[in-house]
Amino acid sequence: MLASILASGLAVGAVYALIGITYNTMFSTSRVMSFTAGQLGMLGGVFGSLFILRLGLPVIPGLLATLAVCALIGVVTEIVAVRPVLKSLDQHLYVLSTLALALLIQHATALEWSTEPQPFPRLLGLGAGIWDEKYWLPVVACIVTILGLEYLYRYTLVGRAFVAIAEDNFAARALGLPERNLRMASYALAGAVGALAGFSGGQLLLAFFANGPLLNFYGFIPVALGGLGNNRGAVIGGLLLGLFQQAANFMVGGIFSSVAVFTLFIVVLLARPQGMFGAPQARRV
Amino acid sequence: MARLWPFLALLALALLLPLTGNEYWALIATRACIYWVLVAGLNLIVGFAGQLAIGYVALLAIGAYTASVFTAGTVMEPLPAFVALGIAAAAGAVAGVVVGLPALRLRTFYFAMTTLGFATIVTQITLAWQDVTGGGIGIPGPALPAPMDTAWGFYYFCLALAVVCTWATANLARSRFGRALVAIRDSEVAAEASGIAKPRLLVMIFLFAGALAAFAGGLFATLQTYITPDAFTFDLSLLFFIAILIGGRGSILGPLLGTILLTLLPEVAAPLAAWSTFLYAALLLVIVLAMPGGIAALIDRSSRRPLPEDRTIRPRAEALATLIGERGERAVLSLRGIVLAFGGVRAIDGLDLDLRQGEVHGLIGPNGSGKTTTLNVISGYYRPQAGSMAIGTAELPVGQPEGRAGRGIARTFQTPRMIGEATVLENVMIGATIEGRAGFLEAMLSLPRQRAEERVMAERARLALEAVGLAGLAGVRADRLQHSELRFMEIARALMLRPEFLMLDEPAAGLSVEEIKRLGALIRAVSRRGVGVLLVEHHADLIFDICDQVTVLNLGRVLAAGTPAEIRVHKEVVSAYLGA
Amino acid sequence: MPITRRGLGLAAAATGLAVPALAQSEPIRIGWLAALTGPSSAPAVGFNRGVMYAAEAINGAGGVKGRKVEIITRDTQGDPTKAVNATQEMISQLRVHAIWGPTNSGESLAVTAIMARAKMPNIHPCVVDSLIDPAKYPNAFRIAPSNTQWDDAVRGYTLNIAKVKKVAVIGDTTGYGVSAANASATAFQKDGAEVVYKANIDATQPDMTPDMLRARNAGAQAIIIWSVSTGMIARLLNTRANMGWDVPFIGHPALASGEIGALIDKPANWEKVYAIGYKSCSYDASGKLPPRNEELLQRLQGKVNLHDTLLWWVACGIDAVDLVAKAVEATGSVTKEAITGHWNGLKDYPGYFGEYSFTATDHNGYPVKDVVMSAASSGKNGTFALAPGYG
Repeated sequence: MLASILASGLAVGAVYALIGITYNTMFSTSRVMSFTAGQLGMLGGVFGSLFILRLGLPVIPGLLATLAVCALIGVVTEIVAVRPVLKSLDQHLYVLSTLALALLIQHATALEWSTEPQPFPRLLGLGAGIWDEKYWLPVVACIVTILGLEYLYRYTLVGRAFVAIAEDNFAARALGLPERNLRMASYALAGAVGALAGFSGGQLLLAFFANGPLLNFYGFIPVALGGLGNNRGAVIGGLLLGLFQQAANFMVGGIFSSVAVFTLFIVVLLARPQGMFGAPQARRV
Repeated sequence: MARLWPFLALLALALLLPLTGNEYWALIATRACIYWVLVAGLNLIVGFAGQLAIGYVALLAIGAYTASVFTAGTVMEPLPAFVALGIAAAAGAVAGVVVGLPALRLRTFYFAMTTLGFATIVTQITLAWQDVTGGGIGIPGPALPAPMDTAWGFYYFCLALAVVCTWATANLARSRFGRALVAIRDSEVAAEASGIAKPRLLVMIFLFAGALAAFAGGLFATLQTYITPDAFTFDLSLLFFIAILIGGRGSILGPLLGTILLTLLPEVAAPLAAWSTFLYAALLLVIVLAMPGGIAALIDRSSRRPLPEDRTIRPRAEALATLIGERGERAVLSLRGIVLAFGGVRAIDGLDLDLRQGEVHGLIGPNGSGKTTTLNVISGYYRPQAGSMAIGTAELPVGQPEGRAGRGIARTFQTPRMIGEATVLENVMIGATIEGRAGFLEAMLSLPRQRAEERVMAERARLALEAVGLAGLAGVRADRLQHSELRFMEIARALMLRPEFLMLDEPAAGLSVEEIKRLGALIRAVSRRGVGVLLVEHHADLIFDICDQVTVLNLGRVLAAGTPAEIRVHKEVVSAYLGA
Repeated sequence: MPITRRGLGLAAAATGLAVPALAQSEPIRIGWLAALTGPSSAPAVGFNRGVMYAAEAINGAGGVKGRKVEIITRDTQGDPTKAVNATQEMISQLRVHAIWGPTNSGESLAVTAIMARAKMPNIHPCVVDSLIDPAKYPNAFRIAPSNTQWDDAVRGYTLNIAKVKKVAVIGDTTGYGVSAANASATAFQKDGAEVVYKANIDATQPDMTPDMLRARNAGAQAIIIWSVSTGMIARLLNTRANMGWDVPFIGHPALASGEIGALIDKPANWEKVYAIGYKSCSYDASGKLPPRNEELLQRLQGKVNLHDTLLWWVACGIDAVDLVAKAVEATGSVTKEAITGHWNGLKDYPGYFGEYSFTATDHNGYPVKDVVMSAASSGKNGTFALAPGYG
């Protein structure tokens, strides 16, 4: 029982953490929290199922195609819902534009894909019981992503440019960094990370249009807990959330577990609005 | 009165509706009225205060269930419908605060998420608490007594409520509460400097909107005749939220039209049902991108009226006499040993300063010398690690920016902080928000004291605008002003408080030579009325022209202090800063 | 699909009002409240095929005493608010003669009182017991089993045929799942069975192992399912297989939904699963349906797609339209009183889905004995094999 809670808790936790990283990646270059983060995760599952099961692609090309499509959707998000409202960040129009886009994505999926959960293919056919691939694939994906991002941010030019923009937008632009292209690149990256979340967790979550809002909410909690823009915080927050949620499912049952998760979320946020590992708010005057 | 006709036209249409004799239209119109009761309150939160409460269907559900539970008698003897509706409104007020509280601490997106979460758990609770709420089977809604028990009777009742809500929220919107909400939305810092306490104000609005939403919930249950948790969908929440946004922020008429539109739209587009949410979302995206001002901006012709051609700013110092009057006793605002460090950097390092009423005190120094930081310490935005401040003998506590206006300290900002969508007059009136005596209820019902107070405030604001030379632009939206005009508008807002001390942060930046001259005369005239002016400035000429005292800062310390004449010949100052 | 437009309905209403002399040839307008889109739309999509087929069949044969049948459809998406609006529109604006639907319990609960106020003859297939109350709603008739009938069938099969005394009752966290699981657990206890485990599971919960483990540890000999969520059911079935536990699943018709076939890891996982079914739509050992429906199947061939739906939905839709048409035919009138009065006197009306009987005091028309359990994985053209144990 404990083993099963740990296995599924870590698995969904890793998916939440990846969605949290998706939020962070988009936020870092644009200062925008996008409602599309969860939808990207949902699409990861839907496109994975579409490419591999319906169109019959092998696993690796299927994964690459999924990542590519979602990266493209990330770029579209930047162009349609983020760039036009960046001028007036303080009006928070981005909340509305990204919410609108997220709803468009979700309902288009419901209408064109299915309103019933669709099967997601078995990817490697490895493991059984609590060592089934569906439990450890998200964890592996999460580890690969975080290592990859660390490498990107530390050792590559593009990655350092991301960091520079995240730290100080104006200074970075003054240095002549192509801010707009970098922003688009980061949205593409976020799209791919979100897709990876949905793809690696596909066997758990299935290819289901309603996963979007769910991942949106549960993927946001790690960001709130770990501190905005803090990927390591998001991973710790995500795994803790997954474990807490599965334990709550087990202890108090389905109806009250969402109440328990939500209560925890509110209490932590009110106690530490900047998250457990976040820096205090910036100066306002 | 001209602004009333759209409302009257809508009311006339609504009153004529029964002539159709078609109860289907009665139902749709009643629904629109009920939604509007909720949206009217929510509008103050979303449209005015700018708090993105997305999940307000939670309040509708709480109201619907409270009213239904107390009339169905699942927990106690059934109560009369109106008592139950009253209890629902009270429960909604409390729930409104609970849902809203995170807004006091959390940023926009976070708050939006928490309201969404609330909407989810309210549904979960109604499901789980089967003994009371009927769980998935639900319970019947309250049945109202005659004459509200027929379709048209109920319609008239809801219409009357909608009219009352329109009137009450319009009153609030036009009062100092409405202006303060918009100030919080568009310029929280300016709001604080004007003494607006965000938590108190927001809690009041949350109570009010929560009560309205829950009352609407009770009526919703009556209209539906029976409620189950699946009636309270996210789509409904979205309808409320989007109605406000396509209506336009800071408007009453816009969201009203938005509500009517979104209630009617699915009926007209019945064959498109499957796509309805998709279309809502597309509509939202188009509006955000193409017309962020919403319906209100489209129908607001005054914002496109041409501005007066001669826009020279001509301050009239005479107006200051009436505005500020004469001060007898002269007090001193003193800083002693102020130390403020950010991380390892000491931005202010043991600063002493005396600001006397009736004098202009210049604060100069190179960039990063701590001028603006000093200003922010005095106005409470920064808490120094050491040192004390006092006005006369009374200690001035550190922090508490929203308490400064009450102590007679007003200020302007390096980048003007204005409320773009409000008129210049309203912007200036913000400055005296703390002087309002009429309470929330008085404002809502537009009682005599409230109206008298508004007249006095508007009069004073006109006087302040005349003093700074912007009288001709009183009715213009602030976002149409030029940069230099905004600087003078900020001064008018500060003068509105009739301050003891006035702090100006680089008021001459971006002004023409002629304007700087007029600004100098204005500042001088203000100080002669007994106001202590602290002037942070880079224009050395202005400083030496009008200051009585000058303090020169360098690296957070006082490099020199004295009269302009003394400073002008101060060796270190000349070599380090004046460069001559 | 010939969905009638609002404009046509309006025109018809106007004609009917303006020229009373034409009333005899005025079409019979049947309002059809269907959750055709949205998350729980599968039943309504099936019903709709039957409705359209029946209307075309009647009109093709010249109508009812010269009157055409006109179906006026409104998609409610399962949303009670939309259902209330559509119902009032049908009553006041489109002036329909009878209403068929809505198809989901939540919306049905909301519109029942409204239809009763207008005395609108109404047939619906929703299972919630309180929807049928001839004293409060003399206009409402049910042509599908009630929840209690479903419950009785599941319980009867579990206790008498499967001979199981310890059950685990599992529902999802929707309104239906919670109330159905509660009702079922209570009834099991009343009949002397032991409910060793009862849970409401969030349908999106990715892993069902904890719940299944607890059910097994509690000693459950059968799992009773009340949920329409195919995703959740498939996860439960896969978990059962992974645990190597051969406990039978008994319950809601959704257990037999075709979607599940795609979601389970291997076909064997769908064995020993028994879903509520109907005698009229179940085939026997020789693969034959009862004669009347075997013949219907022939007629539907090529006209109505049965591969992705259930025969009973289609049959039920046909019956609903026929019941209205027959009432008008028998009484020669489209008044509310005539239609309701005719239904009140129905005795063993031979529908395709079942033989309905109504009296003035009982509007639950579906015969209890026709509710049976079927083998969930035996779906063929929307029909099923009877579960083992039926003689």
